[in-house]
Amino acid sequence: MPEPRLTDELRRMETEYEALLPIEKKLIWYTFGTGVALLVVLVLASRIFA
Amino acid sequence: MASAPQMPRFEPSNQVTPAAQRGMNEDWLAVCIGLLVFTLSLGLLFGADLLGWAVKTSVWMVPAKALSPVSKNFSAWSGIGSLLATFGFVLIVLVLGSRAMRTNVTRFVVGVTAIFAVSYACWFLGSWAYIAATPDTRKVFGIGWSLNLTNESGYILALLAGLVFGNFMPGLVQKFKDAIRPELFIKSGIVMLGGFLGITALGQRKLASVMLFQGLCAIVCAYLIFWPIVYYVARRYFRFSREWAAPLASGISICGVSAAIATGSAIKARPQIPVMVSSLVVIFSVVELLILPFAAQHYLFGQPMVAGAWMGLAVKTDGAAVASGAIADALVQSKAIAAGMHFQPGWTLGVATTVKVFIDIFIGVWAFLLAWVWSAKIERRQDEKVRGMQIWQRFPKFILGYVATFLIVLALGALVPRLVPTITTAMGEANVFRTIFFVMTFFAIGALSNFRKLWQDGIAKLAAVYVLCLFGYIIWIGLLISWLFFHGMLPPAVKG
Repeated sequence: MPEPRLTDELRRMETEYEALLPIEKKLIWYTFGTGVALLVVLVLASRIFA
Repeated sequence: MASAPQMPRFEPSNQVTPAAQRGMNEDWLAVCIGLLVFTLSLGLLFGADLLGWAVKTSVWMVPAKALSPVSKNFSAWSGIGSLLATFGFVLIVLVLGSRAMRTNVTRFVVGVTAIFAVSYACWFLGSWAYIAATPDTRKVFGIGWSLNLTNESGYILALLAGLVFGNFMPGLVQKFKDAIRPELFIKSGIVMLGGFLGITALGQRKLASVMLFQGLCAIVCAYLIFWPIVYYVARRYFRFSREWAAPLASGISICGVSAAIATGSAIKARPQIPVMVSSLVVIFSVVELLILPFAAQHYLFGQPMVAGAWMGLAVKTDGAAVASGAIADALVQSKAIAAGMHFQPGWTLGVATTVKVFIDIFIGVWAFLLAWVWSAKIERRQDEKVRGMQIWQRFPKFILGYVATFLIVLALGALVPRLVPTITTAMGEANVFRTIFFVMTFFAIGALSNFRKLWQDGIAKLAAVYVLCLFGYIIWIGLLISWLFFHGMLPPAVKG
């Protein structure tokens, strides 16, 4: 397995950009949405049961 | 850059150096060391004061009066005798540990001796009244001013000393690198801390339960709110590949090094990538460590619990998060005293540790989830099955030690209330070693932070993502969430 040279890799990533796949977008938004929803639930729960 | 940057060896449970590969890993060793100290301290329950000789450093004006044994049972001992006994104990325990990890024992002995000497000197200096005395104690020392930093300023001095060694004497650090193990030191300290927090929580069960609740929120925050945003920013705006973006997102948003390495192996990134991310995480932890506790002192001195939760959420790596909790505890305490508020110490540190430990618990689950997404959806490796066992393999085992000491003390105190004073004394003795392991952690963190080397490695773009995400929103969301849950909740007051 080749050792990554960061500077070379950064240059390569600029030219060969790996576009976001739909599954990545799903992962990002589903996780974020779940997080915000759970946070609201936890804040409410802490207010109610405090 | 021909090779990975000088690796700050903040190893998670599943990451091992070649030497350690054949021996016990740091997590299990930390559990053993922590439980050994904890068990010996509980000798008091059977009338045997097994750790009473350990050295205690009081705030001093006359150096000769600074050191003394922690227990009155050993009042005949001199401070120096007590210090030497403490050093001997720490050395023996760590050398046995080094044998278990199969490292070079000679180099380890020299290294630990050097680390202990410098770290304890910093702790001693940090206890000088002009640095440590709080406003209410200045009269006792006959001084008109002091920096008001409490004796935990020794942590900051140890960090600065480590940074000097790491950046100006990298050759020397390289020589002792076998012994510079911040993760081992801090994890051992955290296991010991469990008992101390258990006895603190015993008297304040409501506060303790809220702390656990905040722990749950920390998990949601780190994994479900911080992670996707960092990943998106790294991929979309900084154009990092998936192989780089995922460990980077985990490093910045979850638990620094452990999470970066677990994520790296979950998505089958080349091993050097999480190593580079880890280096960056350690550097930024040092920066946070030097800034956030002071910010907490300035703005949150009336809200010690908010300050603790903030440290736990915003500072990455176990070592730095718990360490910043310890510094914030002391700084917030000193400013609160100056403002006429006398809180029971330890709560800021307790909240910071709880939050961090809760975040750590789920690293294995998260790595498992990412491994599944990557193998089944992104790279579609049909031939590969992700096994549930991986969750256990990536689970940070030292947490078991922390939970065990916490629950044992809590159960003993709750079931046999007459034992509480003895247990409190016992945990005080164990706490001496916890402090020593913490101060050694600070030195080790500093010593492994070679800023120049990382800059030469072209890490600036990674750092840009880190700066943007950390200072752009992680710190602020962490503060907001800590405020939402802990605002108005104060530690018990101390009379007098």
